[in-house]
Amino acid sequence: MNKGLVSGLVLLTIGLVCGILLSVVNSFTAPRIKLEEDKIKYQALEEFYTLADYDISEYEANGAFATIYILKEKGQSDISALVYTVSAQGFAGPVQMLIAVNNDLSVEDYKVVSHTETSGYGADIVGNNFGVSEIDDLAGFDAVSGVTKTSNAIKECFNLVAQRINSDLGGGLSE
Amino acid sequence: MNKKDNLLKGIIKENPLFVSLLGMCPSLAVTTSLENALGMFLGVFFVLVLSNLIISLIMSNKKLSQLVKPVRIPVYIVVIATLVTIVEMLMHAFLIDLYLSLGVFIPLIVVNCIILGRAEAFASENKPVDSVIDGIGMALGYGMAIMLISIFREFLGKGTITIWGTLQLDLNVIFNFLKIEPISMFVQPAGAFLTFGLILAGITAIANNKKNKLAKEVTNNG
Repeated sequence: MNKGLVSGLVLLTIGLVCGILLSVVNSFTAPRIKLEEDKIKYQALEEFYTLADYDISEYEANGAFATIYILKEKGQSDISALVYTVSAQGFAGPVQMLIAVNNDLSVEDYKVVSHTETSGYGADIVGNNFGVSEIDDLAGFDAVSGVTKTSNAIKECFNLVAQRINSDLGGGLSE
Repeated sequence: MNKKDNLLKGIIKENPLFVSLLGMCPSLAVTTSLENALGMFLGVFFVLVLSNLIISLIMSNKKLSQLVKPVRIPVYIVVIATLVTIVEMLMHAFLIDLYLSLGVFIPLIVVNCIILGRAEAFASENKPVDSVIDGIGMALGYGMAIMLISIFREFLGKGTITIWGTLQLDLNVIFNFLKIEPISMFVQPAGAFLTFGLILAGITAIANNKKNKLAKEVTNNG
């Protein structure tokens, strides 16, 4: 047989053996890799909920919303909570928040995840308590004094969530 | 060459980094902390030892080596790339912080001259046991070199030495005592070249000193 062809076949065989070996390693590392990547992704959500108790899926929304995390208690089909990634225009740029709302419309927690507001002024919004406990009742919203535009952006984020939450809980999110 | 010499040559006489100046690019890039250097060492150790073993096993079989010879370089690359991909998968799964920190330099182990160099120059012409010992010696030599560079760089650049995760030696007390700040340039690319150059100059000075002493002894005895 042609020597070059035989050498090619040897190379092909070695390649196949290597491919099988890689698929074996992949079979036991892939689930672990997914777990580790999810851990990083859901690190922010972990501050709101014990993630081990929930099945989490994601919905990519558009406009002011980015990812919406759908949390269902393990073994349940009903939505337990929704965590919205939502942004609104502040004084210097967009203010992005994570807002966690339970299925009874109570606000579990919220967090400003990114902003470009001035340090010492608008930046005071991070970690501030805005006094919101029900998403459909923003009457008690407590703005940060002196940073009206940034506070308005925060209120706008809550408003945007309030506008869609009922539809989302009612099956408006196709996963 | 006996087994002890075979092992030691990679560490001192033929150190891949300080003597052969091979694999410098990733070495200088990842030595910003001792932890990174340790991670890189583990990856290179795994790939170098196993690639030497596999290639030596293939090439020591007379019939198989005749068939492989015309396509030996692609065969080496396939073997090395497979081993590097395994390292990458394992690091991604079990040491994710290190995986994120080393980034692109893990897949780049494939093109590390030390590994392909040892496969072609040693493993293809020697027995599997000797090839494994050669791989261990070369990997240890490489590891010691990058760890030495990283200790210098991290200490001078940050005032710390990160061994693993949160296990860290804070040596800022030395800088505080001297009333100076750590020199952040040392953890930047320019600092890598400077550190490498200084260590290389030190090693050359020691080697020259030894040579001169030996030459003097020969002259005196002669």
